[in-house]
Amino acid sequence: MAFTLINHKMVSAQVFPGRRILSQRGAMLGYTGEVTFRPNLMGGQGGVMSMIGRRVANEDTPLMTVEGHGTVMFGHGGHHVHVIDLAGDTLYVEADRLLAFEDSLQQSTMFMGQQGGLMGVVRGQVTGQGLFTTQLSGKGAVAVMAHGGVVELPISPGLPVHVDPQAYVAHRGQVTNKLSSALGWRDMIGRGSGEAFQLELSGHGMVYVQASEVKL
Amino acid sequence: MTYPPILQTPGGEGPQIWDPHTLPVNDNVNPYCFSVNLNGAYYLQKGKMIAYYGEMRFSGIGRGVLDRVLEQNFNSPLHASDWVVAEGRGTLLLADRAYDLNSYDLEDGNLTVRSGNLLAFEPTLRLKQSIIPGFLTLIGTGKFVAASNGPVHFVEPPVRVDPQALVGWADCPAPCHHYDHSYLHGVLGGIRHLTGIGGASGEEHQFEFIGAGQVLMQSSETVLAEKSVGVVGEQSAVPHQQPTQAAPGLGNLRDLGRQFGL
Repeated sequence: MAFTLINHKMVSAQVFPGRRILSQRGAMLGYTGEVTFRPNLMGGQGGVMSMIGRRVANEDTPLMTVEGHGTVMFGHGGHHVHVIDLAGDTLYVEADRLLAFEDSLQQSTMFMGQQGGLMGVVRGQVTGQGLFTTQLSGKGAVAVMAHGGVVELPISPGLPVHVDPQAYVAHRGQVTNKLSSALGWRDMIGRGSGEAFQLELSGHGMVYVQASEVKL
Repeated sequence: MTYPPILQTPGGEGPQIWDPHTLPVNDNVNPYCFSVNLNGAYYLQKGKMIAYYGEMRFSGIGRGVLDRVLEQNFNSPLHASDWVVAEGRGTLLLADRAYDLNSYDLEDGNLTVRSGNLLAFEPTLRLKQSIIPGFLTLIGTGKFVAASNGPVHFVEPPVRVDPQALVGWADCPAPCHHYDHSYLHGVLGGIRHLTGIGGASGEEHQFEFIGAGQVLMQSSETVLAEKSVGVVGEQSAVPHQQPTQAAPGLGNLRDLGRQFGL
């Protein structure tokens, strides 16, 4: 595991020749050893086309490559940090929430419509995630940021979970999600419950939820 | 169909009721609130008191009865307007924007801390301005309370720390600036330097610590609002600094107001 939690808001990572880390720019807190930080012109992996894709999709959070030999500490904005270990599966997460991840992971951009068709697009709009989201796959560790602590909610077939779209952080595994709305006449006259939209995640995997409704 | 419970570690034991006798003595009530057993005088930064039991008076530095005695310990006149003295007996509760609070014991030691992060200190300590702008040095024996965004992480030098993540340092020599300009080398670096295209990593500048001691880091890059620590006049061998903002309501008097504790 590349990342070690120092406390709930800081992680440290070892870098050495053969293990590079991509991190959000400005998220380094301190380091020991000889480590260099290079702004990543592409904003991630996958060459120029991926870069253009990210720019178009507005998923081009500025990244930097951390390499060398030493221990680096990461943290950002006082947000809680959660480390997710990927063993060959895929994590779907908003690019803004990526604090750092191992270079061994494949980074790509996904169209929301791929998960749930038109409703996926609507979901992206309602949750503020936009039309695209970032996916990371392969073997390696990811450190994601959340406002408030992260709760892991496992889901299995027949046991879906409903999540407030603003509290949703990330999910992994074979998960289909759909936006369920409970809009009624009360919402129309301003007497709604405040929980008109919910994200229903079903399938097999893990859903990460933050203890706050503040989007990053 | 039965739904399994959401398994998580328990979050806490629920609300706890404190009274003057059960409140901790010079210790944390919870990670965000600190209880001081006051008997005499205590320095605290303005606005950090949230509650108190007992009889106490808060007076600006330069006005209190004990001022003649206390001013020997407060060697940062440019800072005086940010601080008050609590005098009396009782229990004083301190908090600061839900940041984590910690108390530190100094024994004939010295510790330098970011001025915005220092909440309170015992009058047995002496407060001075650090050479590094924005930091205050405490010297002597006593207890003080400091805030940090997230728990404080202690690191031993050699280490390079992002200026914003630095809470303070103890015992080791004052840090030096470390600039990393390697990314500006080469053709691409030249283009980057001239045009700004490609951006900077945001990590070109760190404070480098060497020697023996402890470096205190906070887990975030958002810092508490910087308190002005005044300006060292333009002298030889003193790096030029930006003039501080005029204190509100004092027009062009600038630091005069601070010096007189207005």
